[in-house]
Amino acid sequence: MNPTSPIVASAALGAFASLVRAADNSGVQALMAQIKNPDDQVRGPAWQGAGTVGAPAVLPLGEAMTDTDFEIARAARRAIEVIVRHAGRPGAESERRAVAAELVKLLDHQALPVRRHALWMLSEIGADEAVPAIARLLGDAGTREDARCALERIPGPRATEAIKAAFTVSPEDFKYALAHTLRLRGERVDGYPSRKLVPTKRTTLTE
Amino acid sequence: MLARETSSSVLLVPNAMHNRRLPRRTFLQQSGATLLGLGPLTLPQVISTRVLGATYSSPSAKDRLNIGMIGVGGMGNGHLGYMLARQSRGDLNVVAVCDVDDNRLAGAVRSTGGKATPYRDYRYLLERKDVDAVVISTPDHWHAVQTVHACESGKHVYVEKPACGTIEEGKAMIRAARENKRCVQVGSQGRSQREAFYAHQYIANGMLGKVHTVKCWHYATPSDDHPVPDSEPPRELDWDLWLGPLPWRPYNARYLHGVFRWLLESGGGQIRDRGAHVMSNALHFLGADDTGPVTIETKGRVPTRGLWDSAIEMEVTYQFKNPDWTLIWAQPGEMVPYPDRDRVKTEGIREGYGAVYYGDKDKLVVWVGDGQVYTEKKALEYQPPANGVQVPKSPRFDHHEDWFEGIKTGRKTIMNIEAGVATANLCVLGNLSLILRRKLNWDPVKREIVGDEAARRLMSRPQRYPYVL
Repeated sequence: MNPTSPIVASAALGAFASLVRAADNSGVQALMAQIKNPDDQVRGPAWQGAGTVGAPAVLPLGEAMTDTDFEIARAARRAIEVIVRHAGRPGAESERRAVAAELVKLLDHQALPVRRHALWMLSEIGADEAVPAIARLLGDAGTREDARCALERIPGPRATEAIKAAFTVSPEDFKYALAHTLRLRGERVDGYPSRKLVPTKRTTLTE
Repeated sequence: MLARETSSSVLLVPNAMHNRRLPRRTFLQQSGATLLGLGPLTLPQVISTRVLGATYSSPSAKDRLNIGMIGVGGMGNGHLGYMLARQSRGDLNVVAVCDVDDNRLAGAVRSTGGKATPYRDYRYLLERKDVDAVVISTPDHWHAVQTVHACESGKHVYVEKPACGTIEEGKAMIRAARENKRCVQVGSQGRSQREAFYAHQYIANGMLGKVHTVKCWHYATPSDDHPVPDSEPPRELDWDLWLGPLPWRPYNARYLHGVFRWLLESGGGQIRDRGAHVMSNALHFLGADDTGPVTIETKGRVPTRGLWDSAIEMEVTYQFKNPDWTLIWAQPGEMVPYPDRDRVKTEGIREGYGAVYYGDKDKLVVWVGDGQVYTEKKALEYQPPANGVQVPKSPRFDHHEDWFEGIKTGRKTIMNIEAGVATANLCVLGNLSLILRRKLNWDPVKREIVGDEAARRLMSRPQRYPYVL
């Protein structure tokens, strides 16, 4: 048999993929065990070295962000940041896509801090494929401002169109913020002038 | 004859009287009280008896600037002390004070004898037509937004360093100052100091030959070794307004006060807190305010726990081209002890930071770099030839006075907004290279990162509405 036949090549690729998955799983398990370690001398190097573990670790780390030990939760949060910034390096498009896809899944997480963090992480490496999921959170009072910020940072017409669509259905008070983002992206918006110079908070001290 | 009249022994006098063994912020909190009879009120270290005793020309009452103070804790309290000292001389009026912490605000009102109007929201202060200028001493994440808003409201601005928190914020600050023709001075006051002038003069006149390397040293950024959980904010604090442009998150006691410096979002560590002084001087002395590096590469060690995320130790290498030179920010780097140990003790010289300038003919050490600047005797005694390079000098070596003169005459100040942004960009890029863990390529003409899409996105940070540029 020709060792380079498609069947052999396919089998070899399949075996290689299994090995990669196994390595991924073992890498994720090791990372999560270290992230949940009570000793910051173990946790610290773990989250700082999380970049190469990559996309498979994103969901477990999102879960660990809800840990009752706030230092473990923080380590998980920072591990996600390291993964995102590693995946965003030039020439790593497939890694970026894989990590972004996992972050999109975190947008459905029940914990608000996890959804918010995922939004900000997607603002760094998200692209068109993340826009619909982010745009959905423009309708959630707890996340809409972070979602607006995420879309503000993601380039391209798809994000602009998503903000425009949200603008037509959003509550009046949120339209000012959406109008701001649309104007930053070069869109014309009638009405809803900037409120940035409108003071709102009076001191309780006697003037 | 100026250099002889200000020989090193003479130069000792003002600082010796005011800086005895006191750390910077302790000094800020203690100085000036006796002078003004205002109890615990503060005066910044930039005031010396020489300055206060100097013959400033007091303007007529109608020409006195009305000043609003935005942020009156820490450095802001120091600036307030300075302004009140000038007010007592009839030079200006402090008409408004603003802070998101009611305790600090109340203290500031008391220190003005109840004469200044208090505000929690700086935008009320900006609405006042009678306010000519503002001093912004808020945490770093507010600098750009408040500076832009102040310029757009027609106010001149003195803003604490570092100028901006992102590259795009810096561009917006420059645009706002230019379009509204406002005078903006950034608080890297090292450039205005007497010995900085002599170091500058020495380097600019070629006494080191071609400068090829500047190595900064600075002690490490502290780490949050006793982290605490999130909690309810104290009653006196408007947490929402403290956060301002930052994404909302629960209050944590490790965010403030003062320690905001150790978080990347609201400060950025020693490279921003003191790099904005030491590297400001490097750009100034080498005439490099209009340039920038072409590559930035950072290595560092970040904390393993706690809220503060700025690098504890780091080394940033900035490579400049045309002319070619290298700037290195190093925490801790290689500290050069100040040679006169008695002077270190008696004057409280903070030799924990500074820079060495290496030329192809000689080298020069410049210690500290902010309200204190010290350099070598050879630079202090140097007299440039009649046709030598003239370097800028702040009036009376007073950074605030340089700002007042800029407002009055329309000339550029010594740490104008373009220079302030150039310095802050170094700090921003150093931290970006650290968190991205890769070398960055920078276009110093367009002032943007090239060849790295994810890094380019971090040139700006979307801001929480309505606290936007």
